[in-house]
Amino acid sequence: MSWRRHARIAGAQLKISTQAALEYRVGFWTEGVVGVLWSLGGVVPLVVALDHRPDVAGWGFWEVALLTGFYLIISGIYAALLQPAIAASMAHIRRGTLDYLLLRPIDGLVSCLLAAFEPWSLIEAVFGVALVIGAAIQLELSPSLAQLGTLALVFGSGLVGLYALGVLMLAVSFRALALENLTYLMETLLDFAHWPISVFRGPLKLVFTFVVPFAVMTSYPAQSLMGTLEPHALIGAVLTAAGLAAIARWAWCRALRGYTSASS
Amino acid sequence: MSSRLAAKLAALWRLGFAEATAYRASVLVWVLATSLPLISLVLWRSIAEAGPIGDYDQGGFDSYFIAAFLVRQLSASWVVWDLDRQIRTGELSALLMRPVHPVLHHAVFNLSALPLRTLLAAPVGLAVLLATRGIVVADTALLLGLAIPAIMLAWALNFVTQLAIGCLAFWLTKAAALYDVWLGAYIVLAGYLVPTSLFPAGLAAVARVLPFHAALGFPVELLVGRLSVAEALAGLGLQLGWLALLGPIAAFAWRRGLRAYGAFGA
Repeated sequence: MSWRRHARIAGAQLKISTQAALEYRVGFWTEGVVGVLWSLGGVVPLVVALDHRPDVAGWGFWEVALLTGFYLIISGIYAALLQPAIAASMAHIRRGTLDYLLLRPIDGLVSCLLAAFEPWSLIEAVFGVALVIGAAIQLELSPSLAQLGTLALVFGSGLVGLYALGVLMLAVSFRALALENLTYLMETLLDFAHWPISVFRGPLKLVFTFVVPFAVMTSYPAQSLMGTLEPHALIGAVLTAAGLAAIARWAWCRALRGYTSASS
Repeated sequence: MSSRLAAKLAALWRLGFAEATAYRASVLVWVLATSLPLISLVLWRSIAEAGPIGDYDQGGFDSYFIAAFLVRQLSASWVVWDLDRQIRTGELSALLMRPVHPVLHHAVFNLSALPLRTLLAAPVGLAVLLATRGIVVADTALLLGLAIPAIMLAWALNFVTQLAIGCLAFWLTKAAALYDVWLGAYIVLAGYLVPTSLFPAGLAAVARVLPFHAALGFPVELLVGRLSVAEALAGLGLQLGWLALLGPIAAFAWRRGLRAYGAFGA
């Protein structure tokens, strides 16, 4: 019952924002096309590296293309679904009007994560899917059912990790004001998800695997499609996502207890 | 400068400093967000492990990205977000009543946060200096001297661009989102993620005359001693040229925008 209500509200929000997006057609250019162009622009450093080396930490041209495809999917989902919702919720927190979201008959956190969507940015994700398929054909990959299952599991973990980071940003913004730039920090940090995780060394590798798990979002899905993902990495990815989700939920509940709306 | 204006500017400076201190969490996030050259440093130094890339070896990358971090901190500006909000909410009306020009107000506000930013960024920079081979700067006093106006002009370029885009908020509801478009190009083309001299030849030639490179890559290369005096002077000229082009655009947008703003009755 409750699940169906959540799904209905998510569907309604998606419908409303799609209708709004179709009204605001200039968004096709400013959010969709520009989003794709700028994400591809982020590949320039990789192109530079491949210009001077035959591969980047063991990843050749088409392997990097596959990775870039997954990056576009993650970046598109972030820009279309997560970032607008977080930004809208932060604005509600600042103005003390978060009550409007909390009073809905669904979970408060889900309500915040459904606060706003910008569907045009999904063009980037669609482009990413096309790139993944194109690169897989070029690499002559024929993934087995098990590999596809691994891909689904790893990619799901990556998405959970991404959302957990978004919720953590939201929780922090209860405490400190004027933190809209946190989403900016996330956006610039996301640029490093362009790179295969094997490029990073030492502490930074640990950070990008377990704390800000870009590896789980882009490198692991590409590896699972190529069949080179180690089982222990898969377990690590699932545990990381579960851990981050638990921390995010806890931080959210804690932050919400300290929330006093505009009137109180 | 008359002493009365100086007193007003000093008051603004204190106000800006106090505000930066009050929103120190926000300033800290800014420092972190602009620390990305340090991640690029780790990345490129591991790629360069097997041998130099172009004319950059590991030490070269260390110097370049530490300098990029430094220049980014010193040339940062955020007037586009402030202006966007102030125009949208009508806060600008209060600024217009003050005896100091709003643009000057923003310039002083942006500059007055620099000491706190530097203070918050210093531990990060120091840790990186200790962990890497450190930074090798230009070896002549003349080149180092030229780096100072180059960094100041880089700040001016950032400020004026943001001002011009921020002024679009007089007509549009999403001016700050337009700045994201500029920022996307800046991150790729300014030499923020990779020195532009390593770009494929054709792309490098284009990127190095654009304002993005003038606002970051050029002062960085000057600081680490990769430019001759003639190249440095040419770069300074290019910075001034972009400033001469973007400055009037910003001034024009401001004047026209102010008229549109009044027309709303705000």
